[in-house]
Amino acid sequence: MKKMTVANYIIAGILVFIFLMPVIYIISSSFKPINELFSSTPTFFPIQWTLANYGAALSRGDFAQYIFNSFLVAISSTFIAVIINTMSGYALAKFRFKFDNVIMLVILSTIMLPLEVIMVPIFSVLKFFGLYNSLWALIIPPAATPTGIFLMRQYLLTIPDEIIQSARIDGASEGRIFFSIILPNAKPAIATLAIFSFMWRWNDYVWPLIAISSPRKYTLQLAIANFTGEFGTDYSSILAMSAISMIPMLIVFIIFQRQFVQGTVESGMKG
Amino acid sequence: MKKVLFMLFAVLSVLVLVGCKDEGVTELQMLWWSDGTEGDVMQTLLDDYLEETGITIELVPIAYNDYEARLATMISGEEAPALARVTEGHLNNFKTQILPLDDVYDTSGFTNLFYNADGDVISLPMDITANGLFVNLDLLDANGVNYPELGDPVWTWAEFETEMLKLKDKAGVTAPGLFDHQGHRFMPLLYQNGVKIWSTPYSASNLKSTAAVEVVQMMMDFYEEGFLPLDTYVTKNSASLFRTGQYGFHISGNWNVSGYQDLTFDWAVVPMPKMANRATILGGKSLAAFDGSGAEKEAKDFIAWMSEGAQHDAYTGGVPYLTPRLGATVNYGNFADQYAVFLDEIANTNEMYVQDWLNQVMIPGMYPLINQFVQDIADPNNTKTALQLLTDLETALKAAAPTS
Repeated sequence: MKKMTVANYIIAGILVFIFLMPVIYIISSSFKPINELFSSTPTFFPIQWTLANYGAALSRGDFAQYIFNSFLVAISSTFIAVIINTMSGYALAKFRFKFDNVIMLVILSTIMLPLEVIMVPIFSVLKFFGLYNSLWALIIPPAATPTGIFLMRQYLLTIPDEIIQSARIDGASEGRIFFSIILPNAKPAIATLAIFSFMWRWNDYVWPLIAISSPRKYTLQLAIANFTGEFGTDYSSILAMSAISMIPMLIVFIIFQRQFVQGTVESGMKG
Repeated sequence: MKKVLFMLFAVLSVLVLVGCKDEGVTELQMLWWSDGTEGDVMQTLLDDYLEETGITIELVPIAYNDYEARLATMISGEEAPALARVTEGHLNNFKTQILPLDDVYDTSGFTNLFYNADGDVISLPMDITANGLFVNLDLLDANGVNYPELGDPVWTWAEFETEMLKLKDKAGVTAPGLFDHQGHRFMPLLYQNGVKIWSTPYSASNLKSTAAVEVVQMMMDFYEEGFLPLDTYVTKNSASLFRTGQYGFHISGNWNVSGYQDLTFDWAVVPMPKMANRATILGGKSLAAFDGSGAEKEAKDFIAWMSEGAQHDAYTGGVPYLTPRLGATVNYGNFADQYAVFLDEIANTNEMYVQDWLNQVMIPGMYPLINQFVQDIADPNNTKTALQLLTDLETALKAAAPTS
């Protein structure tokens, strides 16, 4: 048993190293001067540390505004996603109605459609509702996701029906059952969904590229991409801003990590 | 739980209202990408325009790789921008949505003009690009590499190779030099050896001639012998590599003059080597106005204003860029010597090669085909001969040509 534990630690350690190495390399490279960044004999850590990349990147745009926009979109969209997906998942897990399984299949089948295929139709819908070039366009359409609904449904299936039936016998309304029984019991799945949703919205690039036209409404990812020109790419600035953009995701994960692991295991989801 | 949800909802509602409030300002948008300081210079001019006319033009920066997709989506979704910075490729792809500008500005005062099928000018040329040779003076001088300056006899490719090989395997040198993997940078070599793509547009080409094979073979040898590094085949970022100071030369173009302003070593632009002739390639960026933006008149007004000498020269001189405005005297400031070399390259380029290169506007996809060909030359896994690569290119170009 002890040998097994040591082996597990070694395997886990190797996996941690493999997954963390690119992240650490990005962060360490963001402090390298350009001659070290493109050196033919690269080093893992800078020989000469510099903050110049951060200074240069921040001087090329209103990054305070971009970060604010990203936060606004990620938090709002996550909040709405949790409400909508939990309600949908609850309905599909605990209520039996005509075509319920067909509806679930239809929802899941939308995962097969890549955004690029439906880009122009969605753009037309956005325009129709007057959402084009509004941050609402980044918040509302991606809030209800098939993955989110599936995740919540799978988790809520594990909650015994008897608890809900007992509440009904005691006279609880459907709203009270949802808010007082379902939501507290679904905390791990909600934490998982919140992390995924925040990550999807925070890292989203293609959708904001289509839906936003004013630079004042750019998200951080859009702004970072602008360091790419026709004749070259400003990798120093990209590395610096990428390092900054990782911080919020790290904080969100640290806050929810315990529930995230539990929710992922119990809903059968993986990132 | 409900209290927490209510508080979250209240906080978010305030945040969202702050973030999403209607701007209430009518303004034009100009799509843009930047490789150096051109966005900053254009913004200064837009500020001047606002002061003069009260019209706000918002510069919308977009990553170059996604520029065309974004423009296409906006046009398809009936949200065309009023104005956009465009390449020859964009003009070719969107020429039916671009407004004719014949009556907007004096087109006779400009070179590098592009036309639609009706023969109307469809853009305002903003700059000209030309190929050129950048050298790291610190490395060259430290290793005894000789090079010509403007006015000296122009060196041949053989002389160039002999001199630059002095850098090979020297301390602090990764490779003698760098070459952009782009058709625009490669084609001057063919023109220098007297090869035009089309002998009879678009049915007969010269691409399988001995002179063409000679040029391609020379490039293949450069890569095989380590004269040019293969790193750029993967990174496609020669400019970043040149910035490290570990390469003696960079065969690129005038746009890097602004991008290289902050280099920590001494550099210069010197005459490119020649074969039978001297030749460079003209390219450039333009400004186009789009149909369906709802601000067509305002967009044309801006283009008319931008075509005036004071504004146009402020742009080309400010970046700095080569000017397409005929007879213009642009002040290139500290980079006058560098630009004199580019102007000399252009002056020594035969007009027939310029016209041969402009055929790409008539052939959809011609530029990507040539780019792929240049990539194949540098591909470490390429097993084809120079003649086979050229034959493939000829076949592909003929298939894409309008008369085929």
